[in-house]
Amino acid sequence: MNILRLLLQRTQPPEVDLLRTYDAIVIGSGAAGGMAAHVMTSQGMQVLMLEAGKKLEIDKELKSMEWPFDHPRRGGMPPGHHPLSLNEYTIRQPPYADNVKAEKVYSYVQGWNGADYSKNIVVNEKEHPYTGTNYAWVRARCLGGKTNIWGRLALRLSDYDFKAKSRDGYGDDWPISYKDIEPYYDRVDEYLGISGVKENLPYLPDGHFQRPTRLTSAELTLRNSLQKMNRILTPYRAGVTTDGLKHNKYRSRCFGRGACNRRVGGCDIHAAFDSPTGLIYPAMDTGNLTLRTNAIAREILVDKNTGKARGVSFVDAESGRTYEAKAQVVVLAASTLESARLLLLSKSGTHPNGLGNSSNHVGHNFCEHVMGPGVTGLVKERIGKPRTLDDGRPGGFYIPRFRNLTDKHPRFIRAYGFEGSSGTQMFPGNATDTPGFGAGYKKTVRDYAGAFISMGGFGEVLARYENQVDLDPVRRDKWGIPVVRFNYRFGDNEKKMCEDMADTARDMFEQAGFEIVGVDRNVLTEGWSIHELGTARMGNDKKTSVLNQFQQSHDAKNLFVVDGSSHVSASCQNPTWTIMALAWRSCDYLVSEFRKGNL
Amino acid sequence: MDKHDRSADSTPADMTRRDVMKLGAAATLAASLGVTDSAAAEMQTGVATAASSGAKFFTPPEYALVEELSEMIVPADEHSPGAKAAKVAAHIDGRLAEAWEPADRTTWRDGLALVDQLSRDTSGKPFLESSPAERLSLLTRIAQNEQKPQKPEEHFFVELKGRVVHAYYTSEIGIKQDLEYKGNTYLAEFVGVDLR
Repeated sequence: MNILRLLLQRTQPPEVDLLRTYDAIVIGSGAAGGMAAHVMTSQGMQVLMLEAGKKLEIDKELKSMEWPFDHPRRGGMPPGHHPLSLNEYTIRQPPYADNVKAEKVYSYVQGWNGADYSKNIVVNEKEHPYTGTNYAWVRARCLGGKTNIWGRLALRLSDYDFKAKSRDGYGDDWPISYKDIEPYYDRVDEYLGISGVKENLPYLPDGHFQRPTRLTSAELTLRNSLQKMNRILTPYRAGVTTDGLKHNKYRSRCFGRGACNRRVGGCDIHAAFDSPTGLIYPAMDTGNLTLRTNAIAREILVDKNTGKARGVSFVDAESGRTYEAKAQVVVLAASTLESARLLLLSKSGTHPNGLGNSSNHVGHNFCEHVMGPGVTGLVKERIGKPRTLDDGRPGGFYIPRFRNLTDKHPRFIRAYGFEGSSGTQMFPGNATDTPGFGAGYKKTVRDYAGAFISMGGFGEVLARYENQVDLDPVRRDKWGIPVVRFNYRFGDNEKKMCEDMADTARDMFEQAGFEIVGVDRNVLTEGWSIHELGTARMGNDKKTSVLNQFQQSHDAKNLFVVDGSSHVSASCQNPTWTIMALAWRSCDYLVSEFRKGNL
Repeated sequence: MDKHDRSADSTPADMTRRDVMKLGAAATLAASLGVTDSAAAEMQTGVATAASSGAKFFTPPEYALVEELSEMIVPADEHSPGAKAAKVAAHIDGRLAEAWEPADRTTWRDGLALVDQLSRDTSGKPFLESSPAERLSLLTRIAQNEQKPQKPEEHFFVELKGRVVHAYYTSEIGIKQDLEYKGNTYLAEFVGVDLR
């Protein structure tokens, strides 16, 4: 580990040169920004990356192997630090930190072992308010963004998603097909590493998988039972290198150390993908990447004659001073909602509604995944059995969609999948739920601790024009920048889908012979999946879309928006792998257009 | 933060601890309260632990009461040590001493006083001086509406059990001895079954 640390220290960023015109500026350092930097710098472009947050000594934050009892508060935050709870998101209105007495208030993201490990990664809501409808908006302002704490489920989309409108008539098709993006999914798999099992499903394409994780016996029971229903359970497809990557000196292979979920998903040996070690440090090693952290993009500057982007105005997060950096191309990758915010903030004579917003679609068609319904079952054969090690793996299992494939559901369109796991964990969840006290209570907790299996659904939220974000006319953040205002709610299709989710979850567990312990039918607050998408969607028609199929602005051809905001529909598969495959494809196109002098 | 720390330093806990030290020995205190021999022995341990472990919030009698209640919730058995050995009371004391919300401390101070009051109402003695059967009967009574607590003592039981259970199962004894957790270690291969 010391060697790894030495290597990391050697990667010191060169100073940003504000007099120079860079080939490209990338705004944001998460999955999309990291990929853009990788693709451009590896082909010789000179790139400046602006990250709004700090460069953390991330391994000191994550402490992946720390036992709960070695933490002074068993993972809890210090006094005066408060992580928002589900209840607060549900019964209160944004800005959620208003009227909270605590000194610092953080978004909800945390494992069972408390929020102390994520407090420097996610934002302090007091400095970053937002307004409007209820939304649990998790923002990670630090190098690598949310990739430092992501859930790691790495799935592909298929033409069932890209051509969903052609199948059911709702919304819009993507301007690409699976065959356009497939080679880039392959490259992402090879460059970053992914674990999984090939299943040959047209609606969940296989990847170039490394060593798969293994199922528990209960999960295998469920897999075999589902096969009779013509459904699939596959080991968690994890964006984790399980065999190692010869070309990347910053990342180790996975050693199944387990308890990955007791933190917030971070991995201090970087077997799980994160943007800094997977993409940014290698990009810096090319000598073509300049990194400026604490640089909050305030506006994308536009040449008033050509209407093209000419650079970025940014605020230093510490000093509050404003600077301008110049570039021939601007690549926006600040996350779905921050990118929409920045486009709307970038008003000019040539772009009076905000940059790239001649369609008035920036901020609209906002979509994501709906969560909440799920099931917990008891595997009776496991009660009182000798202890097994079941959480020595980065994830449990995934059940891909089965609705609206060949049949047509009478009550809703589109689909949902399930994530789940079973067996022993470091903390026995049943200790909280088991009633009573005393010797009987203690023995019950011990005997039943490894005998539960549970799963929860992730469903597609339909992209609707009226679901949108814009700028609050009054409220500003700590740096005086107008904040995001939400006007976003789940609709009827999502509610009906969630009812079905709870019913099918229960049914599948019953068929597998598990005793049902609980069925959760509640829909979690908007935003809970941390899968925001769609606020600057791609399309062939510049009247109804913001970007073309290469994530290039219809209005300013040297502006690209390569994060989840470009997605046309949410599908029900987790978006990170698609974000990176699309960014790779678009940046390949960008480099070739740049070389031809077309930008 | 500074302001908060100062207020924590001046809690009655410190005063009381100094008072107890002045008395010279925990046994003296127990004897002066006229407790039975076995309860005195237990209390002695409790008070001694409170004093020596440097409880920051609980008074020695409160600390002894929390130790007893926590051990009743997660007792030692033939398989593993219980909440007392896992120092559950010390953990809870530390969290309460530094709690940002004064209400967290009030909940416990009032809750523990209520337990003693209920004990006096039924057995005529504070909880720690009542018989084991009386203690069990009282705890059973306040635990019975755990799912839907109504009365103040029922709400306090939910708070008490929640903190005790979290502290115990995040302790080294809870994780390694009781649950025999085998993970948090480097594995060459993933553990599990093969497909089909």
